[in-house]
Amino acid sequence: MTQPLNGLKIIEIGGTVSVSAAGKKFSDFGANVIKIEPPLVSEVRKIAPFPDDIFHIDKGAVHLAFDTSKRSIVIDHLTNSGKEIIQRLGKDADLIIMDIPVTEAQDLINLFKDGDNFLTNIVTITPHGMTGPYKDRVENDLTLFGWSTRSHRHSIAGREPLRYGPYAGVVQIGSTAAAVGMAAVWSKLKEGTTRLVDVSGVEALMGNVDSGFFLWAVNGALQPRSAGQSSGLYPSGAYKCKDGYMLFSAGRDPVYSRLCNAIGRPDLATDKRFTDPEEKPKNFEIFKKILEDWLSTRTKYEAFDELQEKGVMCCPVLDASELENDPQSVYRKSYITRNQDGIGDITIAGPPFRMNGLHSDAWESKPAPNVSEHTTEILQEHGYGTQEIIALFRAGVTT
Amino acid sequence: MTSQLLKGINVLEIAEVWAGPFGCSLMGDLGADVIKVESYPRKSETRNAGDPKLDPRVAEGAGPIYERINTHHHGNRNKRNIALDIRTSEGREVLTRLIKWGDILVESFSAGTIDRLGYGWDTVREINEKITMLSLAGWGQEGPYLGRIMFGVGFDAMAGHSLIRGYQDGSPEEMIPILHSDATVPLTWIVAVLGSLIERDRSGKGSYIDLAQIEDLAWQFPGIISEWKMNNRVASPVANSDPSIVPHGCYKSAGEDSWINIAAETDSQWESLATMMGYPEWAELKHPWSSIIGRIDSRADINSHINQFTKDYDAFDLADKLQAQGIIAAPVLSPPDPLMSPQLHDRNWFQIIDHPFIPERLLGGFLWKIEPDPPSWDQRAALVGENNDEILMQLGFSSEDILQMRKKEVIGDSYDEATR
Repeated sequence: MTQPLNGLKIIEIGGTVSVSAAGKKFSDFGANVIKIEPPLVSEVRKIAPFPDDIFHIDKGAVHLAFDTSKRSIVIDHLTNSGKEIIQRLGKDADLIIMDIPVTEAQDLINLFKDGDNFLTNIVTITPHGMTGPYKDRVENDLTLFGWSTRSHRHSIAGREPLRYGPYAGVVQIGSTAAAVGMAAVWSKLKEGTTRLVDVSGVEALMGNVDSGFFLWAVNGALQPRSAGQSSGLYPSGAYKCKDGYMLFSAGRDPVYSRLCNAIGRPDLATDKRFTDPEEKPKNFEIFKKILEDWLSTRTKYEAFDELQEKGVMCCPVLDASELENDPQSVYRKSYITRNQDGIGDITIAGPPFRMNGLHSDAWESKPAPNVSEHTTEILQEHGYGTQEIIALFRAGVTT
Repeated sequence: MTSQLLKGINVLEIAEVWAGPFGCSLMGDLGADVIKVESYPRKSETRNAGDPKLDPRVAEGAGPIYERINTHHHGNRNKRNIALDIRTSEGREVLTRLIKWGDILVESFSAGTIDRLGYGWDTVREINEKITMLSLAGWGQEGPYLGRIMFGVGFDAMAGHSLIRGYQDGSPEEMIPILHSDATVPLTWIVAVLGSLIERDRSGKGSYIDLAQIEDLAWQFPGIISEWKMNNRVASPVANSDPSIVPHGCYKSAGEDSWINIAAETDSQWESLATMMGYPEWAELKHPWSSIIGRIDSRADINSHINQFTKDYDAFDLADKLQAQGIIAAPVLSPPDPLMSPQLHDRNWFQIIDHPFIPERLLGGFLWKIEPDPPSWDQRAALVGENNDEILMQLGFSSEDILQMRKKEVIGDSYDEATR
């Protein structure tokens, strides 16, 4: 089996959620990803849920999902002996991605400096970047998200701003590092050139397309914070049906007219109470009742099928128990179940994209490694002898 | 000149809104040559607005409204623009030549549309066997939802994310719409298309990539499916809290709608925070809050004390003070607030961009810094059809051909404002 990234060697350093998410973009597509973990437990391994709520260093759900198809080695990168190993592992790598504090990252970058050039591509992930007055600040998923302006918009006016689901921000930062890292790999393969890339978590989030700052900066106006069912441009938002909620984005024509037809009320499509911009907000409750009466006799999947058939932009709101049984998920195998040693069957998301067909073998998710599972193997591959490996363990450089 | 990592890669964009176009801009930031084929004579979705006096997306100024909409500008830097009616025979000839030129074709129609337009994968690879074609339909190109229509907020709801990100006492009817897939899908597809080009170097052939936006969301939230499969629980919103960390939340600071996020993940950070708050005894061994167990048991009390502490401070000032003591703390920024960040100014993150109809704005910068060739904003969002002639001549069309195409409205450089 040939996977598209076979032959690439990627090193990830730091054990954080961000760097683990970054490495996953390479490992499941065939790259040789070596996960260098700190002697203290990697952040990604500490995160719940755990099977039966019993914590275990090798059984955290985020680790099991993000560290697939990688090999794990534990190295104390703060020691000279650890740095020597990293230098040896990294010198023929296509890319090193690290998420460690700025001063530590700078130490490791220096290992790969060759005059003005770098021996390999290096991407650093830090909260605020490698330079500037905030470079040594400590942040986490919550505070980074607060910086990004998204929390502010993700709130109901007067109430506290919210982050998205846990770790959404740091996963996005990791994906940012993977994208630019992949570009650096491409350049190295084609031109033989290497880059030093500085990914600031704040900039990665704030510079992305849904940044509130950017939208404000263009026109100097604050977007209204919308939440729930819009009473101006409806139906938009979640409406109750027989067994849950349906999400609509059907306030504008032609979709609005299609909806009116689909629910057997074509008259509403031309009714000034609902089409005149000044009248429409005043009649929201009337329309809501009409729509919810129609929805009350249908399950969300019945409504989804019936309305999409008529071209209405809508979908069911699903909870975790419904995800893998959704017909599209079943058809595409969007979630996969496989065996993980020491646990049994686990379920994780399938490929983020399909290359050359739904069932091609470009993507393969091999089990996430136990901590330090491949330390000896990787050290041997890089020329360390038996006594040297024992000495590194004795010195506390590896565990 | 911008970064040159992707120098020599030609990207053809037939995509709307953000997930496709923004990724193309990122490719442009990295040195790819990107041509956007913009819908014509129908306006692109991001060029539509309501009454400009009421629609906050429209920047003040003269010139066409469709050139002044903020949602369009952000996703369209560093690319050239041709406005082309691909439903005409001449337009199809142009598109065919563009496909021959391209290394990567990005399309984001709902599934099946590109086939109906006559440019499905089988046709595209006949035109150029080395091209990689990326399709970004929300539910993908195969399966029972083929042809259904939705966008980011819906994929978020169907991926299970919407029900875990609201207020803990909220209901789905209060769901706040977000477009997380628009922000994250481009980051994934850049890896995908570059991976396919690496594969092309081996096989000599391009690839077809089917990226279902909902599947790209699914991998990002492993906790949702795992909580159900491992422990038979449906995850519920935790808002800003963390079940294993106290304090971990968003607190009111001085000023209207002003907030600060604070977390103490370790005993040592808690000691620093307690001391800053004037209660060093809260971190002494005899006090129950000195341990994480005691803090978790008293989450509400501790949050209440912190709110009392933070409410009189400016969020930026207090974050400075707390960070100086090693405490995780940051202001919650409203859209204009990044301008107050000395960090972003120090790193020259902001970009001054001029535009014929939106003069001199200080816009947001790039997602990364690169040595030795940093990204630069070489091309502001192009006007509709701004590069028609240049692109057509590059493709081998004569001046007369171009004149005829313009006469027949195969190409254009303006829209009828009234049409959607």
